[in-house]
Amino acid sequence: MSNSIVSLSPLSQLKIPTGFGTRSSTRRFSVISSRLDDNSRSGQPNPQLNLSVLRFTLGIPGLDESYLPRWIGYGFGSLLVLNHFVGSNSVTDITSAQLRTEALGLSLAAFSIVLPYLGKFLKGATPMDQTTIPEGSEQIFMLSENVSNTEKEDLAWATYILLRNTNTMAVLISIQGELCVRGYWNTPTDVSKTDLLDWFGRQIEQFGISDVKDTLYFPQISDSGLWDILPKGTRSVLVQPVPQVPDSSDKTMETNQGFILVASTISYAYNVKDRAWIGALAKKFAECRFVYKLNGSLSVNERRS
Amino acid sequence: MEAGRSFLRTSPLPWAPKRTLPRRFDLALPHIVRASSSSSTEKRYRGPKPTKDWVADWVSKNDDLVRSLPIYVGGVSLLAVLFNRTLSGIAPVADASSSQSRADLLTLGLAVTNILAGLVWLSIRPKTISIVDPEGIECQIVNPDLPNPVVSELLWFWQSLSDVTCCRSLVIVYNSSCIIQLGFAAESLKSDRKPASVDASKLVQGSLYHGVMKSGAQSYLANLSLYPGKSELPFLPSNTQAAILQPLGEKGIAVIGGDTIRGFTTSDQAWISLIGEKLDATLAKYLDNLPFAMLDRV
Repeated sequence: MSNSIVSLSPLSQLKIPTGFGTRSSTRRFSVISSRLDDNSRSGQPNPQLNLSVLRFTLGIPGLDESYLPRWIGYGFGSLLVLNHFVGSNSVTDITSAQLRTEALGLSLAAFSIVLPYLGKFLKGATPMDQTTIPEGSEQIFMLSENVSNTEKEDLAWATYILLRNTNTMAVLISIQGELCVRGYWNTPTDVSKTDLLDWFGRQIEQFGISDVKDTLYFPQISDSGLWDILPKGTRSVLVQPVPQVPDSSDKTMETNQGFILVASTISYAYNVKDRAWIGALAKKFAECRFVYKLNGSLSVNERRS
Repeated sequence: MEAGRSFLRTSPLPWAPKRTLPRRFDLALPHIVRASSSSSTEKRYRGPKPTKDWVADWVSKNDDLVRSLPIYVGGVSLLAVLFNRTLSGIAPVADASSSQSRADLLTLGLAVTNILAGLVWLSIRPKTISIVDPEGIECQIVNPDLPNPVVSELLWFWQSLSDVTCCRSLVIVYNSSCIIQLGFAAESLKSDRKPASVDASKLVQGSLYHGVMKSGAQSYLANLSLYPGKSELPFLPSNTQAAILQPLGEKGIAVIGGDTIRGFTTSDQAWISLIGEKLDATLAKYLDNLPFAMLDRV
C-alpha cells in the first residue's frame, strides 16, 4: 500500500502514511500537521434578512453599530454623574426635580447598556464577534492509526467540515475509543507527539465525556475555562454524543459509540441550525445496517438508539 | 473505588452453593451481586453541566415583545422628562445653562437612543414564510446495482437533509443516469398514483445542468416558480418552492427540492456543498468501475 493522498478540497491535503496492514498491539500515532485555510468566516449576510428599512450606522468601516447603545449608555451615564457633582456648586442647589431626572437617566443608561446583550438572542441576530485564534495553542491534526482507510477519510472529512462551516476552532471526534483531533488545542509541552493521543484519551476518561447521554452545550464559558485540554479563550463548547445502534436482541445497551466535541472562541457560537447539522453528522458515524428487498427498492433497517 | 467496582463486575462470585464461606462474607455477597447487576451500566459523565440560560430562553420566546420594548421604554421616559420639567415649574427651554437642563438633555438623548434601537430591531425582524406542502407521491427509488456503502451514505444524506433543512425531495443523477430518487415526486403522466421517473438523459442535456457543471458551484434557486428553467425539473412536485442544484464532481448532480421560499440558509448551502464533495469522492470510488443499468421506467 503506497501513500494515498486524499484531497478533500483544493485547500487542504491529507497524506495517510503506510504500514497499517498489520495491527500492532501498542498504539502508534501519526501526527499530521496541515495548514488549514483561514478559519474566520467571511461574514456573508443571510439572504433572508435583507429587509432593513432603517439602519443605525455611522458609516465607519469596522465599527460595530449594534454595540452603539452600550457606548452611549456608558458615556451619557458618566456625564450625568459628572453633572451631578460638578454642575451645581453646593448640595442644596440640587432640586428634587433634578434628582428625579438623574435617576431616570441612570436607569435608562443601564437599560441601554444591557440592550445589545438582549439583542443577541433575537431571531435573525448574527454573531458580531469574529472568531479569534487562541494564543499559546498550536494547530494539530492527529488520527488514531487503528482505523481503516475509509474511516480515516470519513474522520478527516468530518473534522474539516466542522472547522469550515461552523465557528469552530478545535474539534475532537471519538468513535469507539479511536480519536481524531484537529485544530487548536492546549497540549502540554512535556508530552511527546506520539503520546499525545493517549494524553487526550486520559483527559476524556477523567471527566467521562464519552458517556454523555444528551447533547451538552456550554454557550458561555468564563475565563477560568472548562477542561484543561481546551485552549485559553474558549467560550463555547458543544459535546454531541454519537448514538449506539442497539442490536434488536439486546435492548439494554444504551451506551454511546462516541462523541463529537467542538469548541469555539466566541460565546453562543452554535445556533439551532448548527447544532442540528452537528447532530446529523453524528448520526453518520452511528452504525447503520440495511437489507435489500427483492423488488429493487431499498428498505433501510436503520436501528436507532 | 472505580477499579474495585469494575473488578467485581467482571468476575461474578458463585456464592449460593458454597456454604463453606464465612458468615460475614455471606452477608456481604448478596449485596455485591445485586449491585453488580444494577450498576453495570453506571458510567456517567462526571464533568460540569451547562446551566439553564433563562435570559436567552425568555428573549427567544417573547421575540416580538422584546423588539418593541426599547421603544416603549424610550417613549415613556421622554414623556416623563418633559412632564417632570413642567411639573417643577421650569421653563421648557432647551439650553444647557443650568445643571437641571443638562441632566434633562442627557436623559432625552438616552431615550432617543433607545427608541432608535427599538426601531432598528423591528425593521430587521425576519419575515416568517409559510411552508407549502409538496403535491406529489412519496417514493424511495434506489438503483439496485449500487454497492452498500454508497447506498448508506446517500440515505444518510437524505435523512440529514429532511431532518435539518426544508428539503422534501432529493434526486441524484450520476453518469447520465438517475441513481436515487427520494421524497416527494410529481405524479407520473403515464400512470396514475405512480411517481414520475427521472429522464436523466434529458436533464443532462438541459441548460440548468450545463450551467451548473460549467461553473462547478452550487446553484440555489430560492424561488423556483420564478425560474424558466423549472421546466427541466418535471420530476419534482409542481409546487416545489426552492431548489438547490449541487454538482457532484464532473459527472453528477444532486437536485434538492424544498418546501419554503428561500428556505435554505447560507449554513445549509455550505453544508450541502461540502457534503456534495464527499459524495462525489464516494461515488467516484465505487461507481467508476461499475457499469450499472438504467433505472427501469415505472
